[in-house]
Amino acid sequence: MELPSTITAGDGAAMDKNTRGRFGDLVFGMIARLAGWFILLVMAGIVIVLASGGWRAFSTFGPGFFTSTAWNPISDHFGAATSIFGTLVTTLIALVFAVPFAFGVAFWLVEMAPPALARFIETAVQLLAAVPSIIFGMWGFFIVVPFMAHYIEPMVTHYLGHVPAIGLLFRGAPYGTGLLTGGLILAIMITPFICSVMTDVFVSIPAVLKESAFGLGATRWEVMRQVVLPWSRQAVMGGIMLGTGRALGETMAVTFVIGNSNRMGWSLFAPGNTIASLIALEFPESSAGSLKLSALLALGAILMIISFITLACSRIFLQRGTSS
Amino acid sequence: MNKIIMDDTIGRDTVLPALAIRNLNFWYGSNHALKDISLDFPIHQVTGMIGPSGCGKSTLLRILNRMYDLYPGQRATGEVLFDGRNILSPGLDVNVLRSRIGMVFQKPTPFPMSIYDNIAFGVRLHERLSRADMDQRVEGVLRRVALWNEVKDRLNASAAALSGGQQQRLCIARTIATRPEVILLDEPTSALDPISTARIEELLDELKQEFSIAIVTHNLQQAARCADRVAFFYMGELVEVDTADKMFTAPHAKRTQDYITGRFG
Amino acid sequence: MMSAPQSQSTDAGGWQRGGAQAVRRRLVERFVSLLCNMATVVVLFVLFSILWTLITRGAGGLSLPTFLHSTAAPGSGGGLANAIIGSCEQTGLAALIGTPIGMMAGIYLSEFGQDGRIVSLVRFVSDMLLSVPSILVGLFIYLIIVEPAGHFSGMAGTLALAVLFIPIVVRTTEDMLRLVPRAMREAAYALGAPGWRVILNVCLRSARGGIMTGILLALARISGETAPLLFTSLGNLNWSTNLNAPMASLPVTIYQYAGSAYDDWVQMAWTGALLITVAVLATNILARWWLTRNGSAQQ
Repeated sequence: MELPSTITAGDGAAMDKNTRGRFGDLVFGMIARLAGWFILLVMAGIVIVLASGGWRAFSTFGPGFFTSTAWNPISDHFGAATSIFGTLVTTLIALVFAVPFAFGVAFWLVEMAPPALARFIETAVQLLAAVPSIIFGMWGFFIVVPFMAHYIEPMVTHYLGHVPAIGLLFRGAPYGTGLLTGGLILAIMITPFICSVMTDVFVSIPAVLKESAFGLGATRWEVMRQVVLPWSRQAVMGGIMLGTGRALGETMAVTFVIGNSNRMGWSLFAPGNTIASLIALEFPESSAGSLKLSALLALGAILMIISFITLACSRIFLQRGTSS
Repeated sequence: MNKIIMDDTIGRDTVLPALAIRNLNFWYGSNHALKDISLDFPIHQVTGMIGPSGCGKSTLLRILNRMYDLYPGQRATGEVLFDGRNILSPGLDVNVLRSRIGMVFQKPTPFPMSIYDNIAFGVRLHERLSRADMDQRVEGVLRRVALWNEVKDRLNASAAALSGGQQQRLCIARTIATRPEVILLDEPTSALDPISTARIEELLDELKQEFSIAIVTHNLQQAARCADRVAFFYMGELVEVDTADKMFTAPHAKRTQDYITGRFG
Repeated sequence: MMSAPQSQSTDAGGWQRGGAQAVRRRLVERFVSLLCNMATVVVLFVLFSILWTLITRGAGGLSLPTFLHSTAAPGSGGGLANAIIGSCEQTGLAALIGTPIGMMAGIYLSEFGQDGRIVSLVRFVSDMLLSVPSILVGLFIYLIIVEPAGHFSGMAGTLALAVLFIPIVVRTTEDMLRLVPRAMREAAYALGAPGWRVILNVCLRSARGGIMTGILLALARISGETAPLLFTSLGNLNWSTNLNAPMASLPVTIYQYAGSAYDDWVQMAWTGALLITVAVLATNILARWWLTRNGSAQQ
C-alpha cells in the first residue's frame, strides 16, 4: 500500500520522540502515587503503633482485659470494660436524641421551609457542625451541667425513678455530670452531621417519585414515610453511622461533662468515662514503658477497631444507598 | 514521499489525502462499533460525516486523534495513515499527533482561564514563543475566527464570560493556534443558535484554504452547505462516500437514500 | 349506591371523601409538621445558646493586653498572645504540609483509576483516616515523634494536625476533580497536552473554587482541634515560636484554663473560646461564600 503524505511533508519520525510531556507524566504519576501510598503508610503506622503498644496489656490481662472494670495504677490492674461501656452508652444516648432531631430538621428543610429561610437555617446547622468540640465541652460544663443538676435530673428522677426496670436508669444523685449529659452533648454535636446527610439524600430523590405520590393525594408525611424513607433508607443509615463514628471517638466535649469516674452502674446520672476521655486524662500521667501506658494504647486500639467497624458499615450502607 | 495517489473510494477524482483510513475496526469492549472502514480525507477539503445516532461517525472522529486512548477497553485495528505513519501504532507520541490533528467539540469547552491564556495554553505546549510572538499569534488566530474585534479589549477576562457562539469560535481559534494540519469537528454547532451556526459555517469555508477538515454533523443541510465530500455511516459501516452534490441528489445506496429523504422530506 | 352519572364525585363523597380517615391523616400531618418545626427551633436554640454564652462570657476579656501578653500565673494579668501565635503557626504549617500531599493523593484517586484495586484501597483508607478519632492521631504522633525525641514539640503538634488535614483535602480534591466535565479534559488532550498539564493547568484550575473551599474548611476544622495537641505540642506558658519546643495553642490553653479554679483563667478560657469560634465560623462562612461566588462564575 502506498502511503499518503501531507502538504507539510513533515518528518514523520518527529512523532516518535520521547518528549517532555511523557517525562512529565512519568514524574507526575510517581508523585501522585507516592502521595497515595503515603496515606496507606500513615494509616498502617497508626494501626501498628497502637496494636504493638497495647500488646503488653493484652498479653498481661488476656481476654479478661475486656471484662475487667478495674483501673488501678497502684496495683497495676487495668480493664477496658468500664470505658468501653461508657463509650457505647454515651453513643447510644446520643443516637437516641440525635436521629429524631436530625430527621425532623432535615424533613423540615426539604419539605416545609420557605426557600429563603431554608438556606439560612441550613447554613446555621452546618455552622453548628463546625464549632470546635472543646467549645461544646465548655458550654456543656458551664451551662448544661448546672441545668441538668438543678432541673432535668431531679425532675426525671421524680417522674421516672419509681417506674419498675427503667427507673433504675434515672436514680442517683443529680451531679449534672455523667453518662446522660455526655450523651446529650454528643447528640448536639452529631445532629448536624446526620442532618446534612439526610438533607442531601432527601433532596436527591427523583422528583417524579415524590410527585407521583403527591399526585395520589398523599400528605407530605405520607410521602416521606412511604416513598422517600424506603427509597433512601440505606443512605440514611450510612449517615447515622457516620455520626456514630464521630460520637465514639469524641474526646474534649465528653471529658468536660462525663464526670470521669471509672465506675459502671445502671444509673445514667452517675459519672463515668469513655475510652477517649480516659486516654485524654490518664495519658499525661503515665510514664513511658509502664503497663498503664500499654493499657491506654490497647484501649486506643479497641476504639480504632470500633470506629472502623462503624465506618465500614456506613460505607456499605452509603454505597448501596447511592447505587440503588 | 510526496506521490499523488489515486483515491480508490471514488475512483475518479485525483486528490491528495491528508488522512487515509484503511480497514479500520473498532471495539468498545466487546461491542464492534466500526466495521472495516476505509476512507480518505482529501487535503484542503471539508469531509462531512453523517448518519443516524450511534452509527459510529463520532467514534471514527475520536480515533483520528487517538482520543480513545483515554478510556480503557477501547481498541482499534487497521491503519490510519497520516504523514507517512500509521497513527494507531503504539510507539507514536499522541501529544504531538494531537497538536497536528486538532479537534473541536460539540459543546464549547473554554478552559477556566483568560481568553488570551486559552489560546496560549495550546501553543505553549509545543512551542517556545517570545511574548511579542505569542501576542501576534493570539491576535492572528482571533482575527481568523472573526473574534478579535469583539474581545481585543478584554483578552485577560475569563473566557467563561463569552457567549456560546464566541466560546466555540475561541475553541476553534485555540485549535488552529497550534498550527495543526487537520481539524476534526464533532458536531461543532449543535449547541449553538442559528446565527452563531452560520458564522461557524462561513469560517469553515475559509479555513479549508489552509487546513483539511473533517466534520461530524447531525444536520444534513449543514453537511450539504459545508462539505465537499460526504460519507454516510450506518450501524458502524461506511455505506457510501461521494461529493456533497452527488450524495444529496443521487445517492447510490438505498439506505443513504432512505436516510436523506427521511430527513429532507 | 351508584347514582346519577353526571356527578362524578357523588359516589365517593365529594369533598367529604375519606371522612374520619381524612381527618386523621390531616391531624397526623399537622402533628409531624409541628414536631419538625420544634426540632428545628431546638437545634437553632442550641446554636444561639452557645454563641450567646461565648459572647457574654468571653467579650469581657477582649482587650489589647489579651492579644499582646503571653499567658501568665493567675492574678498577674496575662494574655493569650502565645496561644494565638502557636495556633496560627501549627495550623498554618500543618496546612502547608498537608495541602500538597492531600491534593496529590486526591489527584491520584480521581485521575489514576487505571491503577485499579490500589486506588480503591487508598480511597477507603483515606476515608478511614478521616474518621479516626483525633485523640488516636495524637497518640500516634506521640509514640513515633515525641517519645523518640524525648520532648514535646510544636513540630509534633503540626504533624498531628497535618494527619487530620490531609484526608479532608484528599476527599475534596477528588470530589471536585470528578465534577470537571469530561469535555474539558478531552479538549485539553486534543490540543496535545500531556496528562499532567491537563490535570494541573485545566482540571485543577477548573476545580480550584471547590478545592479552596475544602482547604479553608479543613483549616477551620483543625484549628479547633484539642485532643491531638495534648500529647504532642503540650502547651507552653511562655511566648515561643520554636517548633522544636513545646508550643502553646488556643484550644489546649482553653482546656487547661477552663478546668482551673482561678476566675481570671476561666475568663481567659472564655475569651479564647470566643476567639477560636469566631475564627472558625468566619472561615466557614467565607469558604461557603467563596464557593457560591466561584460556582456561579463558572456557569
